[in-house]
Amino acid sequence: MTDVRLLVQRFDPLTDEKPRFAEYSVPKREGMTVLDALLYARDYLDHSIALRFSCRQASCGSCGMKINGRLRLACYTQVEELGGEKVVAQPMDNFEIIKDLVTDLGSFFAKHKQLMPYVLRSDSQEMDHPSAEFLMKPEELEKVLQFTYCIKCGLCTSSCPTVGTDALFPGPQALAQAYRYLSDERDEGGKRRIDALDTAHGVWRCHYAGSCSAVCPKGVDPALGIQLLKRHVMSGKARSEGAEVWKQQAAAAPPLK
Amino acid sequence: MKESRLMLIQYATAVLAVALVSIHLIMQGVIYPYATAISFSNILSIYQNGFYAVFLEALLVIVLVHGFNGVRIILHEWRQTAPWSRWVDVGTVLAIVVSVGYGTRTVILALFGGVTA
Amino acid sequence: MADNTPKGAERAKNKRGIWGWINPYHYNLERWAYAFQRITGVAVLAYVLGHLGDTSFFVGGPTGSGPSPSSWDFIGTIFENSFGHLILVLVVLVLVFHGVNGIRLILAEFGFILKKPSKIEYPYKAKGLGSGQKYLIWIGIAAGVAAAVWAFLVLFEGMG
Repeated sequence: MTDVRLLVQRFDPLTDEKPRFAEYSVPKREGMTVLDALLYARDYLDHSIALRFSCRQASCGSCGMKINGRLRLACYTQVEELGGEKVVAQPMDNFEIIKDLVTDLGSFFAKHKQLMPYVLRSDSQEMDHPSAEFLMKPEELEKVLQFTYCIKCGLCTSSCPTVGTDALFPGPQALAQAYRYLSDERDEGGKRRIDALDTAHGVWRCHYAGSCSAVCPKGVDPALGIQLLKRHVMSGKARSEGAEVWKQQAAAAPPLK
Repeated sequence: MKESRLMLIQYATAVLAVALVSIHLIMQGVIYPYATAISFSNILSIYQNGFYAVFLEALLVIVLVHGFNGVRIILHEWRQTAPWSRWVDVGTVLAIVVSVGYGTRTVILALFGGVTA
Repeated sequence: MADNTPKGAERAKNKRGIWGWINPYHYNLERWAYAFQRITGVAVLAYVLGHLGDTSFFVGGPTGSGPSPSSWDFIGTIFENSFGHLILVLVVLVLVFHGVNGIRLILAEFGFILKKPSKIEYPYKAKGLGSGQKYLIWIGIAAGVAAAVWAFLVLFEGMG
């Protein structure tokens, strides 16, 4: 079988002034993913390649990188679908490079947390020590289900043109999750959420370039969530009827042991 | 002002600008031959018809508010330091006031000024 | 004191910057529309400011005091030529695209032309990038080209 030319961007900010490419020749096999190729190179050709990975099945979101110019998961991209001859692996754009293909996702997770990715209840006692499960109707779940598939790989945020310049912009991942909770019928934090989003560097810095949805490997479609979020924020209407629905359901639910 | 209000202004001026600019283009390029449309006498008659003078003033305000608010958005996305953000907001208002002022001067002089050589 | 800044600290930031706004290569159609919307917006504003200047010569320029045929003729000799008209044709092209694409953005940003979130199946197809709004991008391009052709015919009529 023929070999695939694997070009890996190498860069250690502590010692290197600028990135360079190292080329490896990797024997191709059927069904080989870019992650397989990278691991072959690391295991047999150059132990010093730094990369991050874990599950190898597009569930953990660790191996996001730029492959042949496009943002993808290395474990979810077959060498063959790239033409099978040349694979160029680079770190994701717009995240600080720690080494080679490993980027710093610290600020990414911080922004996710900042927009409160959890059900907010007006009754803090109930929120911290719930007397029953926070139930949800199946048809209500379907409205937010696709957004819950986010694996926080960072590809969408890396693709966003605003993220490339605006350090205060939460980015598509965090905003899509903000929509996911704002439109959750059990949530009572609408006002707080809208106040956090309606700022000079909030939801309005999205201009629907849609790259986030184009690169998302899990079908989360952040662009859709963010556009729907804009309508909520523009109207300023916080969901309040949700609380009533939840209270009725909670009354009917079996108590937590 | 809340960002959603500023964006509402951006969307509203966008819709109005599409309507007004379309009328402006039709008046300058479709109704008359171009040479007639830009002739001194034709423009004078347009300005001195009160309705069109108001139309041109509205076009001026709407397009400039939309344009400079757009630049404000771009500049906020470009840099985020506190002084930068403040000056971008102040600069946007100043730019709108100065440019609308200058354009309004043209409208007023064309409407009320006596014809000179 | 020794400088402890890592050698590659600047490059390690890895931000795409303004280049990421204006270079949509490798991305989706909407990203191209985004880049052009931004570029055409700035271009149209630049034209409008110039247009404020040239129209002010109708009343004699910055120091004028009323409608002035001689001043208007003077500005005509500067802009009413093939080069000036070519600029106008370009302005019409980008202006019409900016307008139609802007309407598309308003419709999309408030979810009017996007499908609702629902259960998703592999292979995933983003509902947020649906075909309805994509048509509007192409309509914007077509409308811009058609208007530019019209403007060309109007402006260059009889110029030989």
